[in-house]
Amino acid sequence: MLVGLLMLAGGVAAGAFGSILGLGGGLLIVPLLTLGFGLPLREAVAVSLVCVIVTSSASAGVYLQRRQANLRLGMVLELFTAAGAIIGGAIAFLIDERLLAGLFAALLVYVAATMLSGLRRKAPPEPGTDDETPPAPEDAREVVPSDGGYLGGRLPVAALGSVGAGVASALLGIGGGLIKVPLMHLVLGVPLRIATATSNLMIGITASASAIVYLVRGGIDAYVAGPTAIGVFVGATLGSRLGHRIGQRELRVLFVLVLLYTAVEMGRRALGLD
Amino acid sequence: MRNLRMDQAAADLEPALARVLQAGTFISIAFVAVGTVLLLGGGTSPLAGGPPLSIGTIASDIAALRPEGFLWLGILGICATPALRVVGAMVGFWRRGERNMVVVAIAILAVVAAGVVTGVLAG
Repeated sequence: MLVGLLMLAGGVAAGAFGSILGLGGGLLIVPLLTLGFGLPLREAVAVSLVCVIVTSSASAGVYLQRRQANLRLGMVLELFTAAGAIIGGAIAFLIDERLLAGLFAALLVYVAATMLSGLRRKAPPEPGTDDETPPAPEDAREVVPSDGGYLGGRLPVAALGSVGAGVASALLGIGGGLIKVPLMHLVLGVPLRIATATSNLMIGITASASAIVYLVRGGIDAYVAGPTAIGVFVGATLGSRLGHRIGQRELRVLFVLVLLYTAVEMGRRALGLD
Repeated sequence: MRNLRMDQAAADLEPALARVLQAGTFISIAFVAVGTVLLLGGGTSPLAGGPPLSIGTIASDIAALRPEGFLWLGILGICATPALRVVGAMVGFWRRGERNMVVVAIAILAVVAAGVVTGVLAG
């Protein structure tokens, strides 16, 4: 009972943190389950993918309702992220867990460094928003080309990046927004707000394609997935309601410290020192 | 008149897909919540190792109020919800006459199905 409640509470914390900081919960759920509860990394990744689908589907619904997500662009790109996710799901069962831990540690260091540089530059923007992007109009079809015209002649680059995001998602149990949002914003010129919303929409099918591979191969433990997913769902809901009342800067500093500590622990696991 | 209908369909698609996602998530998470309450209420540790997915026993597990039935049904619902959104989009684009997007939607569903086949073959 106590372990279950701790798992639930950990899920709430991961969901709330992820939601307030605009990051997917996967970044926290995998370390929580591996370092906190001693689960094998691959099993933690599978559970994390289930949680990522929950948060993505719930928030993508809101983004679609507000017409902030570009449905056509998202669908074209998610074709490639889903393909990458299946490749990643297949690779995940072939590579050593220590290598996976090393990759995860590198990812955590990257995110921590990105957040640190953001802290140095200026106060961070609200999650999912961008100072340089004008606020989305009531009907964002004015901003979103109805033909998904962002792709232009850049489909090969976008496809390649999307496959990479899918592989990373399946290997590490994350949504892959860390790759998809910069890809859309910097390469395709999609305004950041729309890129974030569209990435969120794509995360569902990406994570679901890889989760299905784990599911069919018996990689998901329902007993662990249940309390964790409920916790993440509750935490993400709370986070989205309370986020604006919490000091973003202090929270980010705390989060960077958590990320760095987790990266060290994951690194130790990768080196066989745990 | 046909253009008017197409405009209406275009305006309705995103909110309709949003409802699919939200309903799928809430219904699935409700099943997971019931399974979690039964699991923790029954004093079973989540680290005890849950039973593997057995689609054939989900209904009987639910009837017997065993947590695994609710948990697996919820997890399957969670995994299927994004694919349902793609099916919904496919129908919507078909009604709008956007054949290219219909092809994209079919390709996405084919890739997801390939994931199932990959898992079965590799498992």
